[in-house]
Amino acid sequence: MVTAAFVPTPPLRVPEVAGGSAVRDDDLRRACRDAVATLGDADRLVVVGSAPQSRRYEGRWDPRPFGVPGPDVHALPYALGIGQWLTRDLGLPVSFLGLADDAVPEVGDGPYALLVCGDGSACRDEKAPGHLDPRAAGFDEQAEQALASGDPELLLALDPVLGDALMATGVRPWHVLAAAAERPRTAEVTYARAPYGVGYLVGTWR
Amino acid sequence: MIFRGKPLPDGSLVMAIVNRTPDSFFDRGRTFGLAAALDRVDEVVAQGAHIVDIGGVKAAPGEPVPLEEEARRVVEVVEAARDRHPDVVLSVDTYEPAVAEAACRAGADLVNDAWGAPHPETAQVAAAWGAGLVCTHAGGAAPRTRPHRVQYDDVVAHVVDTLTGLADAAVAAGVGQDSVLIDPGHDFGKNSRQSLAVTARTDALVATGWPVLMALSRKDFVGEVLDLPPDDRLEGTLAATAICAWQGARVFRCHDVVATQRVLAVVDAVAGRRGLAVGKRGLA
Repeated sequence: MVTAAFVPTPPLRVPEVAGGSAVRDDDLRRACRDAVATLGDADRLVVVGSAPQSRRYEGRWDPRPFGVPGPDVHALPYALGIGQWLTRDLGLPVSFLGLADDAVPEVGDGPYALLVCGDGSACRDEKAPGHLDPRAAGFDEQAEQALASGDPELLLALDPVLGDALMATGVRPWHVLAAAAERPRTAEVTYARAPYGVGYLVGTWR
Repeated sequence: MIFRGKPLPDGSLVMAIVNRTPDSFFDRGRTFGLAAALDRVDEVVAQGAHIVDIGGVKAAPGEPVPLEEEARRVVEVVEAARDRHPDVVLSVDTYEPAVAEAACRAGADLVNDAWGAPHPETAQVAAAWGAGLVCTHAGGAAPRTRPHRVQYDDVVAHVVDTLTGLADAAVAAGVGQDSVLIDPGHDFGKNSRQSLAVTARTDALVATGWPVLMALSRKDFVGEVLDLPPDDRLEGTLAATAICAWQGARVFRCHDVVATQRVLAVVDAVAGRRGLAVGKRGLA
């Protein structure tokens, strides 16, 4: 791995899904754009995110399962599809790795840039998808500190069982980042908020 | 349709919402007190509601309500409403068999199992009392949860398959064939587009042969079309109501009884399901 960016995966990040509300998340959009732009110097890109199965995926973003009209395509799981949508202008060859459990598909040889697609808890406030869970804020703070530290060990310390309980989709993708980083990195978290009760974390490891 | 010996007339019908809750999203506790709840019952019956749906727990996530407390809230209203309005169909909005049992004992005629039958024995309770049952699609969501990135290959097919299965199971449990309603569960386990898709294909639900109940009133799928809060969703609700009634949905669960009745009357008149209240124009 040469460099990595991490982004959240709310379907409403994609304007065709969010309708008019897409423009309300300007800071998030800018943070994602800037983080993804750091990946452009690599020869190839690997996108990791939660999926129904731990395996390689191919295809395109298909918003139809969310009720949005779209092409009839061989579909990527939404987390990977959002990763594809975010990196659509980079012009790099891309592999998509889905994560459903602790099994991690092979990344392949040679240097690559990594886009890590996943979210913090979905239980940050009473309007959150999973309602308020008192553990959620601390969990997201631990994730933010681990991502900001650039220390793989701190990321690996995040508990996937607690993550599942809090509806966090980022833990396994972040563990892949930790494994790929091999050593502490220069790290930056540029966005850490929960505007819809879901913890969104954006940044880079270089 | 007949619920515990009370037949309902042909045409589109109104089920009025009475929330004996401190925190439901639209009325926010307005009818939480027993006297206020009974005033509301009297009001909606006077307005012509055919069914009164009494609930003791709000749909959204929040403080758990113990079963005894939920039962107390609804039973007090059902008992008094039964006494005041012997011919009106009284419904209890609950997914808990014990609460359905207590409400039926107090005189409820219909069990509105609005969370996709998390407890299948609720159908047996309805059957034992000769009461009706509303079978609802919630996409497998646990009761009182919000949808989070829910995906369907074909939401309409999923709703139709689930509801025909639940309706058949209800009849197998002993609920009368003409005492089952199906409800696609707008907003329950669905994002707004998915609820709109179900609205557009009401005909597919009607084609199952089961009478269709639509619970549309002031919900988020209307609010997100318009970007308006619950207080400002009446017109949008009525538009969806007309669309569903035109396609053959039979019962409309609503907060606004008079407005809904008027919309349904016009739809039914256009559809030839009802005549004019007055027929003078050009005929003198």
